Amino acid sequence: METKDQKKHRKKNSGPKAEKKKKRHLQDLQLGDEEDARKRNPKAFAVQSAVRMARSFHRTQDLKTKKHHIPVVDRTPLEPPPIVVVVMGPPKVGKSTLIQCLIRNFTRQKLTEIRGPVTIVSGKKRRLTIIECGCDINMMIDLAKVADLVLMLIDASFGFEMETFEFLNICQVHGFPKIMGVLTHLDSFKYNKQLKKAKKRLKHRFWTEVYPGAKLFYLSGMVHGEYQNQEIHNLGRFITVMKFRPLTWQTSHPYILADRMEDLTNPEDIRTNAKCDRKVSLYGYLRGAHLKNKSQIHMPGVGDFAVSDISFLPDPCALPEQQKKRCLNEKEKLVYAPLSGVGGVLYDKDAVYVDLGGSHGFQEPDEASPTHELVQSLISTHSTIDAKMASSRVTLFSDSKPLGSEDIDNQGLWMPKEEKQVDLKTGRVRRKAIFGDEEDESGDSDPEDDEEMPEGDRMENSSSDETEEEEDAEVTSKVYMADKGAKRQRLEMEEDSEIDLPAFADSDDDLERSSGDEGEEEEADESSEEEGSDAEERDNLEPKTIGKGSKSGLLHSNGLSDRLNLEKTMKKAALTTSDSGHCTAEEAFASEDESEGSSSLSTEEKDSEDEALVRKKFPKPSQAVSGQKRASESLIDETSDIEDLLKEEEEYKEASNYSTETSGALKWKEDLSRKAAEAFLRQQQATPNLQKLIYGTVTEDNEEEDEAGEELGGLFRVSQPARECKYKADSLDCSRFHLEVPHDWDLEEVMDSIRDCFVTGKWEEDKDAAKILAEDEELYGDFEDLETGDVHKGASGLDTQTEDVEEEIKEEIDSSAEESAKKKHLDKKRKLKEMFDAEYDEGESTYFDDLKGEMHRQAQMRLKKHRWYKKILKSRDPIIFSVGWRRFQTIPLYYIEDHNGRQRLLKYTPQHMHCGAAFWGPITPQGTGFLAVQFVDGTTPDFRIAATGIVLDLDKSIKIVKKLKLTGFPYKIFKNTSFIKGMFNSALEVAKFEGAVIRTVSGIRGQIKKALRAPEGAFRATFEDKLLMSDIVFMRTWYPVSIPAFYNPVTSLLKPVGEKDTWSGMRTTGQLRLAHRVKLKPNKDSLYKPIVRQKKHFNSLHIPKALQKALPFKTKPKTQAKAGKIPKDRRRPAVIREPHERKVLALLDALSTVHSQKMKKAKEQRHLHNKEHFKAKQKEEEEKLKRQKDLRKKLFRIQGQKEKRNQKSSLKGPKEQLK
Amino acid sequence: MATPAHSLSYAGCNFLRQRLVLSTLSGRPVKIRKIRARDDNPGLRDFEASFIRLLDKITNGSRIEINQTGTTLYYQPGLLYGGSVEHDCSVLRGIGYYLESLLCLAPFMKHPLRIVLRGVTNDQVDPSVDVLKTTALPVLKQFGIDGESLELKIVRRGMPPGGGGEVIFSCPIRKVLKPIQLTDPGKIKRIRGMAYSVRVSPQMANRIVDSARSILNKFIPDIYIYTDHMKGINSGKSPGFGLSLVAETINGTFLGAELTSNPQGQGVAVLPEDLGRNCAKLLLEEIYRGGCVDSTNQSLALLFMTLGQQDVSKVLLGPLSPYTIEFLRHLKSFFQIMFKIETKPCGEERKGGDKVLMTCVGIGFSNLSKTLK
Repeated sequence: METKDQKKHRKKNSGPKAEKKKKRHLQDLQLGDEEDARKRNPKAFAVQSAVRMARSFHRTQDLKTKKHHIPVVDRTPLEPPPIVVVVMGPPKVGKSTLIQCLIRNFTRQKLTEIRGPVTIVSGKKRRLTIIECGCDINMMIDLAKVADLVLMLIDASFGFEMETFEFLNICQVHGFPKIMGVLTHLDSFKYNKQLKKAKKRLKHRFWTEVYPGAKLFYLSGMVHGEYQNQEIHNLGRFITVMKFRPLTWQTSHPYILADRMEDLTNPEDIRTNAKCDRKVSLYGYLRGAHLKNKSQIHMPGVGDFAVSDISFLPDPCALPEQQKKRCLNEKEKLVYAPLSGVGGVLYDKDAVYVDLGGSHGFQEPDEASPTHELVQSLISTHSTIDAKMASSRVTLFSDSKPLGSEDIDNQGLWMPKEEKQVDLKTGRVRRKAIFGDEEDESGDSDPEDDEEMPEGDRMENSSSDETEEEEDAEVTSKVYMADKGAKRQRLEMEEDSEIDLPAFADSDDDLERSSGDEGEEEEADESSEEEGSDAEERDNLEPKTIGKGSKSGLLHSNGLSDRLNLEKTMKKAALTTSDSGHCTAEEAFASEDESEGSSSLSTEEKDSEDEALVRKKFPKPSQAVSGQKRASESLIDETSDIEDLLKEEEEYKEASNYSTETSGALKWKEDLSRKAAEAFLRQQQATPNLQKLIYGTVTEDNEEEDEAGEELGGLFRVSQPARECKYKADSLDCSRFHLEVPHDWDLEEVMDSIRDCFVTGKWEEDKDAAKILAEDEELYGDFEDLETGDVHKGASGLDTQTEDVEEEIKEEIDSSAEESAKKKHLDKKRKLKEMFDAEYDEGESTYFDDLKGEMHRQAQMRLKKHRWYKKILKSRDPIIFSVGWRRFQTIPLYYIEDHNGRQRLLKYTPQHMHCGAAFWGPITPQGTGFLAVQFVDGTTPDFRIAATGIVLDLDKSIKIVKKLKLTGFPYKIFKNTSFIKGMFNSALEVAKFEGAVIRTVSGIRGQIKKALRAPEGAFRATFEDKLLMSDIVFMRTWYPVSIPAFYNPVTSLLKPVGEKDTWSGMRTTGQLRLAHRVKLKPNKDSLYKPIVRQKKHFNSLHIPKALQKALPFKTKPKTQAKAGKIPKDRRRPAVIREPHERKVLALLDALSTVHSQKMKKAKEQRHLHNKEHFKAKQKEEEEKLKRQKDLRKKLFRIQGQKEKRNQKSSLKGPKEQLK
Repeated sequence: MATPAHSLSYAGCNFLRQRLVLSTLSGRPVKIRKIRARDDNPGLRDFEASFIRLLDKITNGSRIEINQTGTTLYYQPGLLYGGSVEHDCSVLRGIGYYLESLLCLAPFMKHPLRIVLRGVTNDQVDPSVDVLKTTALPVLKQFGIDGESLELKIVRRGMPPGGGGEVIFSCPIRKVLKPIQLTDPGKIKRIRGMAYSVRVSPQMANRIVDSARSILNKFIPDIYIYTDHMKGINSGKSPGFGLSLVAETINGTFLGAELTSNPQGQGVAVLPEDLGRNCAKLLLEEIYRGGCVDSTNQSLALLFMTLGQQDVSKVLLGPLSPYTIEFLRHLKSFFQIMFKIETKPCGEERKGGDKVLMTCVGIGFSNLSKTLK
């Protein structure tokens, strides 16, 4: 049976192996490569036609040049942030399903509920952040700006929808990301032909929109509510291997797609004042450029804010460490989606929930799916990292008592407070984190803390004598505590490349508590008395130094060995110190078995054996920071050295190098202190005092100044002795650098000191001419090496250069990060918290452009109404622009540039033309694209994008003018001069316009001369002709229009849940009129009325007599003399007939009538007769002609034949003829 | 929205130019209080007022508020406009005082700047126009600001106290600046100079040249010092003479030094021979300091590095002048940019004193005022 099923072996037709075989085959046939073909058969490759060759060359060259792009500098870091994949489409098209399938494809984990962005590791070098984009226009705009790849879902059964086109247009404006179409609902086609047709139609439409040949994916159908695995797999492959061209805007601006946010405002503040200023921290990968601390940022949909702090965090979804293998193992396929509650952590409005996975959550930690790794690790940590850090102690001197972090002063920090909610039914315990203010947290004996966790405390207090089961329960609760701590820790350190383990890679095992001890430990956490005793135990040696030191890591001392851990990477002073509430004295007695049982995130070991044991369990090799040092007890003298160094370190907060410690578990411990000392000395040497001199002192100065200012508020002021700074304040501002002690240049040695600065001096080895000449041959040798394929030496140099640069950049970042404490806090305005909705809180990308900050200016742009938008846009109607990262409402003025450069105001945008638009808004660099929408609320079946364009110019001065016609009337007219009134109101106004050109309606041009005294505002003007009193005189002037200073950011994301798409800003007058039912009252004069034309009466032409006389006779009016009255004697008398006569006359009349009738008839008859006759005649004629024609024809034919015969005979010659 | 904390506040009139220039470039308003508040003659001086007026001329829409005594100045920058401008500088300070700031601003104008400055061309306080011409313009060129229109022309020379000089400065505009990598100043290949004299005997210049050469010839033979004797209306209103020297290296670094005679009626008369020698020694001093940019133009180079693309710029400088140090601090407060500063000890080489390697990543500044057509 099996043998039957076996497939036949198929030869490979492609791939390297097949090619190799093909080559070999060709070689066997004595056929070489193409080049050989050229040699073998030169005729086939010869030039046939020069013209054709030139043409083909031109063509190829044209095609090549078309492909040329301006080179783009690729500034993506070595480990790039995840690629943002936006899954976009109209509703019910299958977006969520696709995301779920993709996630499942990459991570083998099924996410049921997707809220917010989901970050996954999709390959060895690629991570993806997948976001769903609905059809809210705000969302579409925001996501189009951050997208690297857009999966555009199209319902094939329906066809393209408006959203798709809108999104494409948005993309075009804001930089075109990669776009891949995905056709879904293909199973709704019954017939294959129909399906094919639909596919082709959609494909071609898609190509016209994106570019010809754009990739369109077909998802043929659903299987059990999911797409087919193979298709999804293919799609995933496409995404993972896709190459991206950097987009200019994105690469030049730093931005963050926040995948998590937390409100750090004190709840009490919010309670008392709902509109209080919020403090919010946002988490996400930084993309684009470097983000500077304390900079201005913009949050789309929220507003403009200042960053109060930025910090590095460990990477929550790290790329796998470089390993030489083809694919990721299951553990490396991470998912990070804090808003969706993946990995068991769920963030909602004001709490954080950790999903334990019920009562079975702990039984088989090893079997937990890899995506749960994060949570599992969190869960398995028995004590919080903070607690560990707090409990860790250091002994600075061998004989001194160990020092804990409690001794370090407690600084304020923002921390969530927890509240546990035990769900007794399910056995699940949920821990709610309430975020409090810094002040509340910092204190060890925080009463609120105690109040908030009564159950926990109770449990903990009784824990020491609890039974087994109870202990179990206890563990879970502990876990939450631990979780809380870990989470806090992550809170601060999110965004780094490691999950928090590296930081604690070498911290000690006893930090890991046993469950038995935990109760006490927790108790200690809460109780301040314990703290006090702890503090007593410890020697408070140089608290400040330690504070600084522990900022960079954790200080820990064991009862057996003194160990000193200095971690510079973490630098979380504030954290560590404020977490002192979690410190315990009992930690040291942690039992080993417990630590073994739990696969811990933090790699802590008590003993070396243990260490090795636990190490095996860790998914990743632990990373240790090179700056980490430990002082073993044997090296007492060196500890003091380190102490000194510690002091120095406080001053030199230099970036420490990260180095992976992957070697054996024990090896790295050797000589740590010596290494540490060396490293410090190196650092010290490398770091000059100069930096501190320049930047360090300044801050101090400022502080001091501030203090001085506040010191006294009363009448009297202490006149402080002028410090150096003050002294300098009013000194000469000069850039020249005068030396106080110039060198004596007459001395030979002084002169010698600069000898080599001149070409005449000694040259460096590598630049000395003789040396270079000597080395030339060697160089030549190098070159030959190169040809044979050896590594080019120059290239390596280049590499190091780039590396240098990268390091530099890193250092730059580090330094800026170091300065600040370790958290990122964003000042947010009111509402944010209560409005927080996980689903929607994803369009956050910060905008920062140092310079552009808050400056608002007038910007001019070239704008064109979108050809699909149905209406034209009106000047002064508020409209929503999307420029740069921002979305805002503003009042634009549209204008058009006349030929003389005048920018003339338009009332409406032209229908099909570009026009200018000026508005008052934030500064955006020229050349930035923008789009405009009229409204963002509500749905409309029409196309929503009203206009698109580009920013041309930023200006502060007004240039837009509108036409203003001033009219006046003549009141006195001389020859060409007239006095005109009614145009101006005063002589001053006239004076302003002296010499201006005026015109009458009839077209007579003139000029304003001078003001008149009599009616105010009247003036004298001259014209090219005499005016009429009925003339209207007008002057054309241009009046500058000011741009309304209206800028209203679209704060749609501050709207409550479910109403995000209902934001409406300022309404247009039209809308207001509609809402208030106010009818527009048009100007009566502007109304159109039927035109009634009066009948025109023309007077008869009258030619003067004199003129008539002069006219020639021909043109003289021919006026007949009137017939004079006939005199009476000439008038004939009326004839009165006799009756007889009358009868005769009547008879005659009758007779004549009869006669005339007869005649008429006769005439008609004759006419008819004539006609007939004529016809007959014509016929005859025709026949005659025909006859004649035939006759002629015959004749001619005979004639022709005769002639032909004659010709023939003549050609034959006489002989023939004779014959 | 706009926060009041956005503006910066300072006290005292020192480094006024830096603050105003950086404010203009960064767009952050600046408030300067206590300008000579404790002085007998409080408030802004003539030359500072003139400088503010100049800023007003080249910008568009700036708001300047000065209180009645002139001790407080509020400056809200506008848009750099440029174009053809004329400005009468105060004779209390040299044209260099104004020109230095113009050099910082000129590449970022809306229209290319062409400005005529009238006043004192050479004085003892500020870098003279000659030195700026020979040292600052090459710095601009390093950043990609070059072309025919980059020009600094001395039409008339004016010495203090009378003034009467005239200078034409024109500069093209750039949208972005190139990052620089100047880590090797190279060796000096030639020394050039300009010995000028106005309203004194033309022989003075020759005497200066001879004495300066006598010192410099010990180092390098390629020395040429031009003599420039201006006459008539071109000679300004006061007599004086001076020398400016510049050393050029093979890598295109220019190091300058200068010295001017005491103004008429102030101090003792200076012998041209002494002046020449002292100036030559000043040049040697400058060479001793070294670096790829000379001490007067350090701040200019650092500013343009800051405003560059988001790439790494490096420059090797001599010891930082107090002006530069303060400038670095101001850069930090205006642009949040911190330089990485490494000292490069001179070691055994006979190449002068310790050097400082300044490194930074540009903030990606782009000329916002330039119109797109």
